[in-house]
This record gives sequence, C-alpha cells and structure tokens, in this order.
Amino acid sequence: MKKVMCVLVFTLLVSAAGFAQGQTEKTGNKKVYLITMDQMDQHWVNVDKGCQKAVTELGGIDYTWLAPDIKDDNKQIECVNNAVAGGADAILIAANGPTAVTSALKEATAAGVKIIYVDSAADYPAEQTLATDNEAAGSTAGKEMLAALKAKGVSAGSIGVINVNASTASTVAREKGFRKVFEGTAYTILETQYCNGDAAVSKDMSANFITQGVVGLFGANEGSTVGVGNAIQEAGNKVIGVGFDKSDMILSLIDKGYLLCAMAQNPQTMGYEGMKSAMKVLKGEKVSPAYMDTGVSVIKKK
Amino acid sequence: MNDERKTLYKRLMAIRGMGQVLTVTIGLIVLCLVFGLMNPRFFSSRNVSNLLRQIAPILLIGIGQSYVLLIGQIDLSIGSVVGMCCMISATLMTKGMNPLGAVVITLICALAVGVTNGLLVAWCKLPSFIGTLGTMTIARGIAQIANHNYNTDSIGPAAEGFRNFFYYGKTLGLFNTIWIAAVIWLVCNFILTRTRTGRHIYAVGSNIEAARLSGVSVVGTTLKAYMVSSAVCCVVGLITTATSGMGTMDAGTSYELYAVAASVIGGVSTLGGQGLLFGTVIGASIWGVLQNGLQFVGAPIAIRNIVIGIIVVVSVLLDVIVRGNKGKGLKISRKKELRKWFEKRREEK
Repeated sequence: MKKVMCVLVFTLLVSAAGFAQGQTEKTGNKKVYLITMDQMDQHWVNVDKGCQKAVTELGGIDYTWLAPDIKDDNKQIECVNNAVAGGADAILIAANGPTAVTSALKEATAAGVKIIYVDSAADYPAEQTLATDNEAAGSTAGKEMLAALKAKGVSAGSIGVINVNASTASTVAREKGFRKVFEGTAYTILETQYCNGDAAVSKDMSANFITQGVVGLFGANEGSTVGVGNAIQEAGNKVIGVGFDKSDMILSLIDKGYLLCAMAQNPQTMGYEGMKSAMKVLKGEKVSPAYMDTGVSVIKKK
Repeated sequence: MNDERKTLYKRLMAIRGMGQVLTVTIGLIVLCLVFGLMNPRFFSSRNVSNLLRQIAPILLIGIGQSYVLLIGQIDLSIGSVVGMCCMISATLMTKGMNPLGAVVITLICALAVGVTNGLLVAWCKLPSFIGTLGTMTIARGIAQIANHNYNTDSIGPAAEGFRNFFYYGKTLGLFNTIWIAAVIWLVCNFILTRTRTGRHIYAVGSNIEAARLSGVSVVGTTLKAYMVSSAVCCVVGLITTATSGMGTMDAGTSYELYAVAASVIGGVSTLGGQGLLFGTVIGASIWGVLQNGLQFVGAPIAIRNIVIGIIVVVSVLLDVIVRGNKGKGLKISRKKELRKWFEKRREEK
C-alpha cells in the first residue's frame, strides 16, 4: 500500500513539475498537431515518426500527436477541437472522410490555424496535401510485373486483376495505373473481378484465373492481394503475383516467394515532408505543389 | 405403358416444390454443358474440384437461409455473422489461442446471435426483416471491433492444421471443405425430413396458427431454425479464416442475399412451409457455376449479377406457371393461407 502511495505521489509531483514547466515555457515555439485516424495502425505510428524526425531537424516546434483510440468521425472532430483549444498554429490531419471533419476544420482556420493534409484529404481547402498518388503507384506495380515477366521469358499471356469494387476511388485508380502499363503490349488484361475486400473470395477468383492459365495476378488492396498470394501458393505454379499494402500476411507471402512484391505507402515521408511544409507556411513562405505524391516503396523478398 | 414411370413422376411431383427442383436441375446441367463447350478447361479435374469447393460455402449459408425461409422468416444477419466469426476466430488465434479453443468460442458467439434472432422474431414478435437487420449491423460492428477496426495479422504457422482441416487439406481426393458441406447437408436434411423438429418447421411455415393450435412450440421451432442458420455461418466464417490465413472485416459481405438466391432458385418458398434442401444444393451450384464459368468466358461481374437476377425470377415464375396448370385447388388454398398470414401479421402490428 505504501509503495503504491509513493509511486502515486511521485508521478503526481513529476507531472506537476512538467505541467509547471510547460506553463512557463512561453518561447517562440510553434505548436503543431498531428491528427490521425487512430493510434493503433503502424501506418500512423510511422507518420508520427516522420514528424518527429522533422521536429528534431528543424527545432523550435512544440509537437503533439493526437488520435482517437479507434477510427471514429466524432472522436476525430474532438481531436481537432482540442488542438485548436490547445493553441495550435498548424494541424497536420489525415481526414477520416471527405466531409466528416470539414466544419471542425472551418472553425480551426477561422481561429488562424493552418491545415495540411497527410495521407487523406477532406473536401476543404488546405495549404498542402501529401498523399500517395494511387494511379502512379498502380503503374509502379505494373512495371514490376512487366519486368518480372520479361525476366522469366514470358513475352505474352493473360493477366488477372482482383479489385475491391467499382466504387472505391483509391483502388480503382491503382487498377487504372496498372492497366496503363500493359497498353500496347502482347499481354491481355482480363475482365476485373471484384471481391469486396474479402481475401477468401479473392482466393477463389484467383484460383479460377490460374486454372484459366494467366501468367500474372494483380491485387488492388490488402484483402485482394492476400487472396492472390494464397491461390498462387496452393497452385504451386509460377504465376507472378503483385499487390498492395504491407500487412503481416502479405509480408510472409512475399518472404515465402508466392508474391513477387507489394506496393507500400510511405507514411514516414508524409509526416516528415508535412511537418517541413507546416513550418514553411508558419514562416509565411509558399508551399508547392498543392498536391505532393509521397510515392510507394516496392517491398520485395529480402 | 408408362404407368410405373408415371406414378413415379406423379409421386415425385406430389412433393411440394419438387417441380421447381427438377426444372432448375435441368437448367444447371444445361449451364454446365454450355460453359463446358465454351471452355474445355471447365471440366478439367482441377477446375471441377475448385468449383465444388467454391460452391460449398454458398451451399452452407443456403442451408441456413432455407431453414429460416421454411418457417416463413428471413435471416439478413448471415453475411455479417460470417464476417464476425472470421474476425473472432482469427483474432483469437493471432493472440496465441489454440485453434480448437478459438473454434469453440466462435461457435458460442455465433449461436448467441442465432438465439437473439430467434427470440427477437418469435418471442418479441418483431418482423424478421427488422430484427435480423439489427443483428446484421451489430454482428458487422463486432467484426470491426474484434481487432480494433483492422484486419488481423496472419494466424501463423501454429494454425496450419486448422487451415488444412477447413480448406486446403484433402480427404479421399476431395477437398475437406466439400466434405464438411456434405456432412452438414446430410445432417440438416435428415433433421428436416425425418425428425419431429423438421415437421414442426414445415408446420410453422405453412400455417403458424394451425401449428400453434396443434401444440407446436413456435418459439422453440423458430429458435432452432435461427440457430441452425448461425451455426452454418460460423462454419463458413471458419472456412473463410482458413482460406485467407487471416481475419478480414469485410468477409461475408452480401452473403445473406446469395443465400436467399440459392434457396429461392432451388425452390424454397419465401413465404414458408415449402421447399426441399436438395433444391438448395442446385441453387448454390448454379450460383457457383455462374461465377466460375462467366469468369472463364471473361464476362464482367455485372453480367453475373444480371444473369443471377434473371434466374431467380424465371425459376420462381416457371414454378408458378407449372403450378397454375396443376389444378387451382392448391393455388387457392395457398392464397387463403397467404391472406391469413398477412392478416395475422397486421393484427400483430
């Protein structure tokens, strides 16, 4: 009991000291907040890492990462309000959806806060958006597959595409970019199959494609890609599988050699460049371009 | 001269719903032949075994939906319960739980949804469309919460046995998934045709009031039907986890409608009391063959949806027409039953 009390008193003292210091520290530091969709995903942890890197490099920034415990529109709005109340000069935000946080952002700009989008933008003007250009990323995936097919000596054949559905803008853009690479080549891309992001459905569709004799398979998101990898693993033949996202399951499929590679976003770049842009804006400089493609990293077997 | 055959035919046709089952069976055979002619790989042994394995989950959820349709209700929670079971089992396994333990816990969760559905519909007298719509969104919510709104990691090498048992392994040359579906179908068909519970299900579906008056426990029978439905969803959820090797929150999306399609194409009436579980096999097969065959031909997925829609309408329409020529007595009594049923509904509200 005594021990517990001791620990409690100690923490209280320390936090009080920290609080007092925070109060007195009225330097010219700029307050910048990062607001993500949640705290769980490695993706956001990496955005935070990028921000921290920029903060130590630039200096003179009071940086805070705020995020709801789970993805939730209302909780994200609360975060924006808290940041404004906390005296934010700039907010880097990954908007949950196009409209959910717009009114909160409007209030924030009215209070003089600069907004920068990282990862995903809302329908509200901001200083800059730093995100992955999905069409370009799809083309990168296509080029990887094309190179692997050529290296294998396969100069023609059909390729199967598994997408989520016809209405998810990001994955539709990835497919568009992928298809562009194969325009005018001897390869034919078959009719897209939609799996609703369900890896098991994608597996069935991929198995059908393999029976049909495709030389390559492309998955447009995590679920689709896992299905592609599982089908290639089961069929045991050398179909080239390329996909998207960096999940635990996809990494293991790549390591075992069933998937050639996967496109992963660069969250750390988003955070790093986002923070640098924020400081530029706060110094009154112009930032360009309005939309910065942070690109994708190609993850291959080590 | 054809006396014997005629009586056999008559006896077959005397079973309610058999007419439509025969029609769609012929349809299925034609469909297979057409796809076989269009693409010689369709009948390759690899495709046939893949195809059977693709049909199995649709058949399982079809069985569940058929049970519920037979008592004159509907289960809209099927797809979400599949997703929920997929996520719960995968999350438990990624947290290091023994697969068997994960299966048991998942089954308990699924049955809880089944019991809730049954109580909402039979005991609280909610329209099944509303009651199961509620559990549908709740179960999908649980699927999302299970791993904090993310798909799970890989269920890992410790679950290799689980993956083989439910999906990748083979027994006697056939994929285990096919065996699982076949055994469950046999058990469910036995319950429906040879046991008192089965007769009660048909009785409640044909005329709920008459069933109640003759001492059938309507609440009990409804509960059983919904529990069968959620149990098969659990099995499909586990198959999904085994297939992917991970938990997907979106697993089972719109499966409830595939299940209705499989049942209805197979001649199970949405008004209850009529239908054979054999028909569901044909209905599910038509669904699977279309998905597989049309993908081979290179038709857009929209075409599959359109064709399925047409088949649902035409198969039921054909049955209505055939029935129309079979003497009006049946039709009228059915109409009366229907009117009674709707009046009853209105009173309940």
